[in-house]
Amino acid sequence: MTGHDHPHPELPASPYAVRIRAIEQLLIERGVLTRAEVRAQISYMEARSPENGARLVARAWVDEGFKARLLEDTKKAALELGIDATGPVEFLVVENTPQVHNLIVCTLCSCYPRAILGRPPDWYKSLDYRSRAVREPRAVMREFGFEVPEDIEVRVHDSTADLRYMVLPMRPEGTKGMSETGLAGLVRRDDLIGATIPLSPAKA
Amino acid sequence: MNDVGGDPAGPVDKSQHAVEDWELLTDAITIVLDRKGLKTTDEHRRTIEGLSRYRELAYYERWAAATERLLIEKGVLTEKEIDRRVEKLKRVWSEE
Repeated sequence: MTGHDHPHPELPASPYAVRIRAIEQLLIERGVLTRAEVRAQISYMEARSPENGARLVARAWVDEGFKARLLEDTKKAALELGIDATGPVEFLVVENTPQVHNLIVCTLCSCYPRAILGRPPDWYKSLDYRSRAVREPRAVMREFGFEVPEDIEVRVHDSTADLRYMVLPMRPEGTKGMSETGLAGLVRRDDLIGATIPLSPAKA
Repeated sequence: MNDVGGDPAGPVDKSQHAVEDWELLTDAITIVLDRKGLKTTDEHRRTIEGLSRYRELAYYERWAAATERLLIEKGVLTEKEIDRRVEKLKRVWSEE
C-alpha cells in the first residue's frame, strides 16, 4: 500500500491519500505498527462480505438448533461455519417475524457488523439514511423497493461501537426443498440490514 | 452537527464508489491502532464529530483526519513531522 504500489500520485483523489501514507511510514519507523499488521488487516477486511451473512441466514433457515445458537451467541455460532468474528465487539442478530420487521442504522456514524459482512455500503454511511431511518423507516425502505405491510411493526436498531446488529430475514415462499447453498444465494446485503427482504426464487 | 438521527433529509443515494487504496489503508491503520489499545472507536467518533469540516470531508477523509488528530493528541506523532513527510512523499512521487 506504500512505496511503489501507490496509484498515480500526480492526481491524488484526496489530500488524505498522501497524508495517511506519511502517517503509515512514520508509525512504522517508530515501531508503533508494522507493515505486515496493516496488510493483514486489509486482507482480513477484504475477506469479509455479505456472503458470510447469507451463509449464516441459510443455515438458520434449515437448522432450528443453529438458529437458536445464532440468536443466543452470534460469534460462537459464526465460528461453526468458519466465520471468525471474534473480538471485543458484540453482535446481536434480530429476527424478522410475520409480526415484526427489523431495520439497522447507525445514526451517529457507521457502526456495522464489519467482522461478518465487511465494510458498510456508502448509503448506510450517508447523512440521509442516518437521519431518516429512525424517523420514517417505511419511507426509506420504500425507496429500496420494499413496502412494509401496515400491520407489521417496524423496529429500528441503532448500532453502537460496542454492539452491532444483523437482520435474520424470514425464509421466502417457494423455497421448499432448496439446498442450503441455494438459499444463501437468495440473501442479499440489504436484506441483512433490513432495507429489503429476500425475494422468493420465482421473483429473484 | 453529527447527531443526525431524526433530522430532515433527502432521498437515500444508493450509488457506491469504488474503494481506493488509501481508503483501505486508512481503514486498516485505524483498526490496527484500536487493536493495539492506542485509541478506541469512541475516541475516533468523538474526534470525527469535532472536525470543523465534518460535512465537507468524505467518509474516509474523516477517518484519516481523526486518526491523525488522535495520534497528535496522544503525543505519538507531531503535525510538523507529518507535514514534513507529506512534502517528502510528494517530492519523491513527482520524480518517479
